Amino acid sequence: MRAILLAAAIVSMAFPASAQDKGAGKSTYDKTCALCHATGLAGAPKFGNKADWAPRLKVGAAKLYASALKGTANGMPGKGGNLTLSDGDVKAAVDYLVASVGGAKSAATPVAAAAAKPSPAEAPKVASAAPVAVVAAPVALRAAAAAPGAAATGAADPNAFNRLLAAPGKRNAPPAEDGIHDPANPGTHALQPPLTALGGMPALAAGNRVNWVSSLEGGRITPRWDRDDAGAAAVVMDLNIVREVKGSMPDVVYPHKQHTEWLDCSNCHPQIFIPQKGANQISMASIMLGQKCGVCHGKVAFPVSECRLCHSKKKEGAGPAAAVAGARK
Amino acid sequence: MRANRSRAALVALALAALLPGPATGEYGDVVLNRRSEAEGVRPVVFPHWFHRIRFRCKVCHSELGFRMRAGSNVVTMKEIADGKFCGMCHNGQVAWAADRCDLCHSGRAGLRSGIQGGHETLGPGHW
Repeated sequence: MRAILLAAAIVSMAFPASAQDKGAGKSTYDKTCALCHATGLAGAPKFGNKADWAPRLKVGAAKLYASALKGTANGMPGKGGNLTLSDGDVKAAVDYLVASVGGAKSAATPVAAAAAKPSPAEAPKVASAAPVAVVAAPVALRAAAAAPGAAATGAADPNAFNRLLAAPGKRNAPPAEDGIHDPANPGTHALQPPLTALGGMPALAAGNRVNWVSSLEGGRITPRWDRDDAGAAAVVMDLNIVREVKGSMPDVVYPHKQHTEWLDCSNCHPQIFIPQKGANQISMASIMLGQKCGVCHGKVAFPVSECRLCHSKKKEGAGPAAAVAGARK
Repeated sequence: MRANRSRAALVALALAALLPGPATGEYGDVVLNRRSEAEGVRPVVFPHWFHRIRFRCKVCHSELGFRMRAGSNVVTMKEIADGKFCGMCHNGQVAWAADRCDLCHSGRAGLRSGIQGGHETLGPGHW
């Protein structure tokens, strides 16, 4: 045991930057991975849970490393969301996680694995590391990942870095997989999955990925206007308000019609909007902070990323000709 | 190890509160956990999309008295049983009755109250 410790100590002293011993894997795991993998948050395979890891170990070390480095469509962010980690740190953490379910034991013999390592800088490590099973076993996994082209096989979504941009497979997830419902709760599985209802509705690029207004106009959905009276019709007011905006964005056209299809006057007036021309100061900043339009838009109604749904009226005299005229003055 | 785990869980909670996670429910889902977990049941997940297909906004936000500000509606099971708020429909007549606990109380442990599903505007959405 002492000899092993000594060997490990020599390795870590001689190659402090390689960060590939069990300690580095553990410290990376504790700092970053444990957030999800300790508790199984958002469906992450739990530390030490063989059932969670069994299907993942089957795909091989190369893909496992690729998933950890680049993220997966299941919600694993690249490098666990901590992009300051080096590739070596991430791989060491994967080894540490895999070792927790005994996965590393099935790897090739330590010596062969260590010899297969491509980095010349680490070559001297072979001699001292060979007897150290704890250190060398994870190395076998890493050697497999380092094979040419192996890393490229993990086809991660290139937009995975953007948290607001759900990958196609992640949109409208069924309750048990949506990250907030508890899959262990029997009722979760009795709930309607969003896609069964939203699937055939007119699409929008954001929010529920459904255009609620055209769904209602086209009769695709017929939500009740009154709790008890299924036949009650909405009290619709058809009045457009044009708001001239500063800067180069098109002016905003606010349609009362589409809003009164859903809402009662008292939902907005007078608490959110004073029903008087010029009395309401609205800015994108206040909307982003959840005021004015932001009370609904960005939370349940279509989000603010859909600029042109509101900024829809081209400015008077806007265009290249006006710009040229302005420049000549 | 145990201390490590509970610390990790705490950090996870803190992080989940700051960052929208990779999967956070459907757009417009509201988590109600002001008292649920303290009372020993799962947090409530309210799906706006599901109700929106069946009722216009006005029904709940005008007739039923839900204010359009997450956190400003404190709903107790007693009120629901008395036919207020959710209980105006969840009474076995318009929709399922309040004896189906696990249909509403279906959230993961430790969820923070507020709007979920990749919201883009803040403010009253969180409290």
